[in-house]
Amino acid sequence: MEAPKIITSALECNNCDSVIREEDSFCEECGYPIKGTEQDVAKFYAKRVMNKRKNNNAAEKIKSARNTLYVIAGIVLVFGLFLYFQDSDVGALLINVIVGFIYVILGSWSNRKPLVALLLGLLLYLTVIVISAIADPLTLVAGIIWKVLIIVFLAKGIYSASSITKSA
Amino acid sequence: MELSCKHCHAAFETEVKFCSQCGTAVGKMTTTTKIKNVNTIIGFYIAMLVFIVLVYYVELTFPFNLEADILVEIGFACIVVGFASLNLKPLLKLYSFDNVNLKLIGFSIITPIITSFFVYFFIEFVNYLFSAGDVANYYESYLYLDHPLFWAILFTAITPPIIEELAFRGVLFNQLKQVTTDKLTIVATAFLFALIHFSVLSFLWIFPFGLLLGYLRSRYNTLWLGMIIHFLHNLIVLMLDYYNFYSF
Repeated sequence: MEAPKIITSALECNNCDSVIREEDSFCEECGYPIKGTEQDVAKFYAKRVMNKRKNNNAAEKIKSARNTLYVIAGIVLVFGLFLYFQDSDVGALLINVIVGFIYVILGSWSNRKPLVALLLGLLLYLTVIVISAIADPLTLVAGIIWKVLIIVFLAKGIYSASSITKSA
Repeated sequence: MELSCKHCHAAFETEVKFCSQCGTAVGKMTTTTKIKNVNTIIGFYIAMLVFIVLVYYVELTFPFNLEADILVEIGFACIVVGFASLNLKPLLKLYSFDNVNLKLIGFSIITPIITSFFVYFFIEFVNYLFSAGDVANYYESYLYLDHPLFWAILFTAITPPIIEELAFRGVLFNQLKQVTTDKLTIVATAFLFALIHFSVLSFLWIFPFGLLLGYLRSRYNTLWLGMIIHFLHNLIVLMLDYYNFYSF
């Protein structure tokens, strides 16, 4: 009774129970060091914990980048309404509504595809800044702290999205 | 995907997540390469944005100046070729005629006829609807030169397709493909292609136009189809402007 039990346990990974071959030094599914020393195994688990923590941290940064996109969308929409009620400018309202809508779409898209959605969000934001600066160079300096903050939040989200192992 | 470990070159029989010999993660791009690619994408886009601002001030300072126009085109080409040289080999492959056949060329000739007429009259209609003022006549802006038609064709129908296709369907497409899937790459390049045209109204038609060009690039691995469509589209819009200019 004892012998077959040992064979089965030797052919299964200690960590994830996937089938392994005798000549393998590492599990092909999870990277567990089958033939490694106790120290190797400890290192393996430590690395997993660190990865998990990194991913959690990244997920939080992605979340704040997503919220940043929603905040920009809100600001753009409010600004459009303001222009409309001030000078009844329908064209400006329409443009602001479309741009705000794009931010909202990118924000909700960043749930599933964080890297691409946040990247497009950042580049859209930079483009809007450049267009406004061409129309009126003074807009570049207006609220510059907010602009830098928004860019930092979005950039952090993008780099976190590219550091997590999940494909984006 | 190659079925061998990049670290110790052991061969795998099936697709695995980790190398059974050395324990290295397989297939996933390392974080640093991914971040490097993302940096290149952002850098390339910002370079184009800054260049557009520069162009705006050049045109303000030297209006109706042929030398300035030519220098601007060369400058843009230099930026695109500069970024292209970072990863030149896969880009050169896009200029092969291997996947191009008569049927596809026929498709690339008929499509821009439809899109250009649609866009030309659609934009006019939308502008009329919102009374957003006159659209710039592409032909009119070259009247100061001796042979306006020649320069108009060169600057709106010949150089943009060549440079823009290399920039968006070449450089940007290849960089994005390394960090994400093919489908997302098509969507993202079309989005950025529409964005850099700096017009909310144009966004409505340039985005689908970019999707089509991106799809052709992804499906047939060639830039020629995009260049043909882009060229004919711009040429027909220019010719409509030319016709409109002399008939009114």
